[in-house]
Amino acid sequence: MNAKNRFMVVDDELIVRESLAAWLEKENAVVDRAESGEQALDFMQQNLYDILFVDIKMPGMGGMALLEKVKKSFPTTVVVIITAYGTVEHAVQAMKLGADDFLVKPFDPEGLGLLVTKLLEHKRLLEETHYLRSEITKCWGGTDEIVGRSRPMLELFDTIMEIAPSESSVLILGETGTGKELIARAIHAHSKRMGGPFVPINCGAIPESLMESEVFGHEKGSFTGADRPKKGLIEVAKGGTLFLDEVGEITPKMQVDLLRVLQDKAFYRVGGVDPIQADFRLISATHRDLTQEIAAGTFRQDFFYRINVITLRVPALRERKEDIPILASYFLKKIAVETNRPVDSIQEEAMRILVEHDWPGNIRELQNVVERAVVTAKKTVIGPDAFAYLNPQAHGPSIDSDSRSLRHVEMNHIRRILEEEEWNISRAAKILEVDRSTLHNKIRKYGLKRAGDTPL
Amino acid sequence: MPMGRAEEDVLTVVGDSLQGLLRLPVDLLDPIPIPQHTFMEERNQYNAMGIIKFMDQEYPANPVKILGVTRADLCNPILTYVFGEAYMGGKSAVMSYARLHMGTANKFVSREQFLDRVVKVAIHEIGHTFNLPHCHQGRCVMRPSNTIPDLDSKLNYLCPYCELFLFEALSALLRGR
Repeated sequence: MNAKNRFMVVDDELIVRESLAAWLEKENAVVDRAESGEQALDFMQQNLYDILFVDIKMPGMGGMALLEKVKKSFPTTVVVIITAYGTVEHAVQAMKLGADDFLVKPFDPEGLGLLVTKLLEHKRLLEETHYLRSEITKCWGGTDEIVGRSRPMLELFDTIMEIAPSESSVLILGETGTGKELIARAIHAHSKRMGGPFVPINCGAIPESLMESEVFGHEKGSFTGADRPKKGLIEVAKGGTLFLDEVGEITPKMQVDLLRVLQDKAFYRVGGVDPIQADFRLISATHRDLTQEIAAGTFRQDFFYRINVITLRVPALRERKEDIPILASYFLKKIAVETNRPVDSIQEEAMRILVEHDWPGNIRELQNVVERAVVTAKKTVIGPDAFAYLNPQAHGPSIDSDSRSLRHVEMNHIRRILEEEEWNISRAAKILEVDRSTLHNKIRKYGLKRAGDTPL
Repeated sequence: MPMGRAEEDVLTVVGDSLQGLLRLPVDLLDPIPIPQHTFMEERNQYNAMGIIKFMDQEYPANPVKILGVTRADLCNPILTYVFGEAYMGGKSAVMSYARLHMGTANKFVSREQFLDRVVKVAIHEIGHTFNLPHCHQGRCVMRPSNTIPDLDSKLNYLCPYCELFLFEALSALLRGR
């Protein structure tokens, strides 16, 4: 027993309080004595206790009521119920309510010693488990890895916390690059399966011919080259979470096979005859609109219902523009450390370009843009030049769907050079390697104008 | 102080061992009967805590500590039996040797082994009155012993730490007087 454990004896009989407290004090523990449930709760506001010894029968708040209150507010405090001989059925009831053990008066001295040692060890393990769980959550990333303070993201964090402990299948929808795998990892990290593996399968990346043996495993000799049995990813995910990324890419045949696993909770290795128990939680993700795929007949409706018990939608970056500065700074710091570059911030003007950009590639694109800026930066602060290529029509009309056409590229290029040269036609024409008259024609053709001027 | 009838050799060995331990004179008091109000009829045992309270009241002043020795079986309100009882830092302690004869297979142990157990219980209880808590260092006599095998497996003297704490408590007490 460690020095300075703190116990409390709650009993209305002075003689019991005194004897038990005296016994516990010999174990070098601090022991408080309370004569009623109400007094015990008062004490609990002031100190944290390792073990409470509570008499079941007391005037006022009885032992049961105190037990319920303590377990609600101080779940790691161990509660031992004390009953008199002949009222053991109450003790059983108390155990159902969450008491950790019970003692029948008078107790055998050896039993009391063993009980206290056992319960302190139990409490130590509880606390250790609690600590290790939080460490594992950190290892998996948890929600700490997901950066965002915008309303849709805060709502998403709440939903993750709500749904993580359940066993239901989750479908994560979101555009490419929005961090669907991070969300899946966060769900795993906060679930009861956190101690098990997190097995991601990128359904779009595994060739159709290999998919079956990758997912289900195979027995020796089941096909040419199968020179030894192999566990499939479903088997590897035992006790953990299986993450099917790009689930929209799965072939109809594979959908049938997986549907069977989800229904029967068992599967066969390729070439195998013995069913293997499946024990995983399924999280799927896709950037596709699966309802359209169902309508088109390329995605099975029954499979869709199986994987879509809970749906999470990850907002696109353009829907949470207020997160862009936080994300950009986060990536800047991370990449600066990784690449050992002395870059520490992004200028306000440059940040404005980032915020105004549409981010079709979402966070992945943002990360790449910041990485490029950090790697090519010549100063410690990143200026707007670093991101100029994102927004060639600075201050102009927004880029529409034609922006990839040659006409637009030419127009934007001419505008940029003119602005760089402060609308000096001769210098701009020289840079563009065209005649001044040609440049005039182009300006007229595209309706370009100097900021503040009327159109030419 | 014998309570009820107590054997001569038991009283001698307790007195000698405490004198050796504390390096202070130990007096053998006249026997007194066990206070009748501490008898718990339904358990056919005496309440050790009641006896301690009685001793605290009856012998308030002089001796530094007082140890009652009895052959009667003791218990307390929450425990089915005790070999001895003392409050931490209290003035009085009590010990019973009713259960210390027991050997295996219902045979009594040798007198020598019995007296060794008596010494261990006496030192253990007096140790508590000097504020020594249970010790989990090796086989120190302050190790908790709820059963006869526990008692037999520990030594009949204090470990160096408990000895140090005992002498600190003892000198503080004597300075106070």
